[in-house]
Amino acid sequence: MPLGGVIFITLFIAVFGVILIFLARATGGKAKRTNQAKMEIYECGIPEQEKKDTKISVKFYLTAILFILFDIEIIFMYPWAVHFKEFIANSYGPFVFISMMVFLAIFIFGLWWEIKSKALEWD
Amino acid sequence: MVDAFLFWFLAIVTVLAGLSVVLMTNPIYSALSLVMTMVGVAALFVTLEAYFLAGVQLIVYAGAVMVLFVMVLMLFDLKHELQAFTRGKITGGVKIASVGIIAGLVVGAITLGTKALELSKAGAETSKPVVDSTKALAENLFLKNVFGFEALGVVLLVIAVGTVALSRTKGGTHARD
Amino acid sequence: MMNMGSTPFEITVNIIKTVLVFLMMVQLVPILVWVERRGSAFIQNRFGPNRIGPLGLMQLLADAVKFLTKEDFVPDKGNKYLFYAAPVFALIPAAIAYMAIPMSTPLIIGDSKFLIQGFEINVGIVFILGISSLAAYTILMAGWGSGSKFSLMGAMRASAQIISYELALGLSIVGVIMTYGTFNLTDIIQAQQGHLSFSFFSHQIESAFLPNWGIFYQPLGAIIFLAATFAESNRLPFDLAEGEAELVAGFHTEYGGFKMLMFFIGEYGHMMIASGLMATFFFGGYGIPYVTTKEVYEFFLSSTGVETTAHVLNTLVHFLSYNIKFIFFLWFFIHVRWTLPRFRYDQLMDLGWKTMLPWALANTIVTAIIIFASAQFSF
Repeated sequence: MPLGGVIFITLFIAVFGVILIFLARATGGKAKRTNQAKMEIYECGIPEQEKKDTKISVKFYLTAILFILFDIEIIFMYPWAVHFKEFIANSYGPFVFISMMVFLAIFIFGLWWEIKSKALEWD
Repeated sequence: MVDAFLFWFLAIVTVLAGLSVVLMTNPIYSALSLVMTMVGVAALFVTLEAYFLAGVQLIVYAGAVMVLFVMVLMLFDLKHELQAFTRGKITGGVKIASVGIIAGLVVGAITLGTKALELSKAGAETSKPVVDSTKALAENLFLKNVFGFEALGVVLLVIAVGTVALSRTKGGTHARD
Repeated sequence: MMNMGSTPFEITVNIIKTVLVFLMMVQLVPILVWVERRGSAFIQNRFGPNRIGPLGLMQLLADAVKFLTKEDFVPDKGNKYLFYAAPVFALIPAAIAYMAIPMSTPLIIGDSKFLIQGFEINVGIVFILGISSLAAYTILMAGWGSGSKFSLMGAMRASAQIISYELALGLSIVGVIMTYGTFNLTDIIQAQQGHLSFSFFSHQIESAFLPNWGIFYQPLGAIIFLAATFAESNRLPFDLAEGEAELVAGFHTEYGGFKMLMFFIGEYGHMMIASGLMATFFFGGYGIPYVTTKEVYEFFLSSTGVETTAHVLNTLVHFLSYNIKFIFFLWFFIHVRWTLPRFRYDQLMDLGWKTMLPWALANTIVTAIIIFASAQFSF
């Protein structure tokens, strides 16, 4: 795998982006006329209302954790899928098939339980 | 020669990113440096010709676990943490202690590594070249260690159930924003 | 490891090829935006931009100049470093992932063989999935670096949407990998040549009518993959991250000028990856239907007699074939954007977790059962 090529093009794109930003600054100029209103955050035209105690929904955390778990399970399916036909040709077919089906049964049970317990209801 | 240059470049980038995880004051910068460390480790896997594992490292670690970290860190108001970690003797002591632990690990690794190098030179000539790493991985996972594989599925299920249960104790998923 | 070629000539050509592919992606964006604006205008029964240049083609040049000369500032509460780093980081995953998609048959000149793609990765699919899962960081950095609650909430919702649909994306590809037995994209394209023929319960089924494309092997996988890539690139109908009527502009509210354009280059880059992968997995990639690449090469060899010319013509014809499919899917993306209404956020997340993930699982299980049964048993 051309690792040197990947690193080279990453650095090239980063330098390209930085040059573009500097070009934009050079032609457009840094903010010259700044006043209080322009530097504030846009909130439909009204001055910013900062609530002190904004509670963040825990659903973001749950979505991310469930994503990690199911992503790991999908990663386990990749080597199985690549060599599935080879295993069948080498007469390991039933064993490999059953082992993955048991794993998928556990996965499906987890998914069903998570849907049934309304863990990801967004309102 | 090019391989050596590539390895040293990647190693220095990874180690610098790892150091900046510990030494930076803003937690978001630390989390993003950890992402850089994971990407560097994936690139180092490629130099070891473990292409599939490098891809899996990118997908799972840098693409899932670190997204969770960064998302959760960004949702908090971090001004108190920033103030707590930037001044005082205790934080200075913590930083020096962590650098000391790293130095000890490095010295220990070099000492043990040279011993391991002498041992492995004897075995290097007899090892067969790696042709297809995914096939060996698949064989190990699905044929030889099937019980461990299924147990892993059960462990993941337990994690899912535990997380949902944990988030329900204090207000839970239907907490009003 | 650094196998960008064996001779210095090959190495320089390969390095220039990666730069060319990147610049090709950047240059394709103004054309796509023009198509979007004119196309959307015709769909909505109005004229699009038609003042500047013939047919309004210079509109994008004028827009680029306008963006360049805009003022460049960081909001007060924003984080300067992340605010500037996010647009630059938006270009990187899209460009690198696109370079792994093969665009034509290899060009063999003398002793050197040049592949018509940025670089060749032998675990192509896993690499592309890994790199495009780094796109979530662009959104998070942009949302947090702006320092405003609206940007942050838009960024959180967008990144939650992206990671939910990455599951369906990864799972819909498992069926394709099972059918073709390889991660390498060039091998997948090579296996999709000629007429439809496969062995089913030890009968060989051949069809003179259908080409050997992946979509006939994995129809459900193709539909799920297409829908998941719509969500991955934040295009309508999964547009809620940039919901133009709701969160102002989501995570890029506070951006203006050229930094905003760079976000759009990233979004169109993800669209291009999606179109390229659709063409590669399910529509034969650079192959021409009903004929194999070898037959086309033999045809050119017999008509010109010179090997190098035959190779060049072969590459050009297959490049044209790839581009037709590629541009069809890009146009399909744009067409769907102006046709369907937007999903509400909870409908979107329900679709991702409760509909697409179970269907993708069902697709995998049915494919496994069919492959296993048709190899073990026979009628």
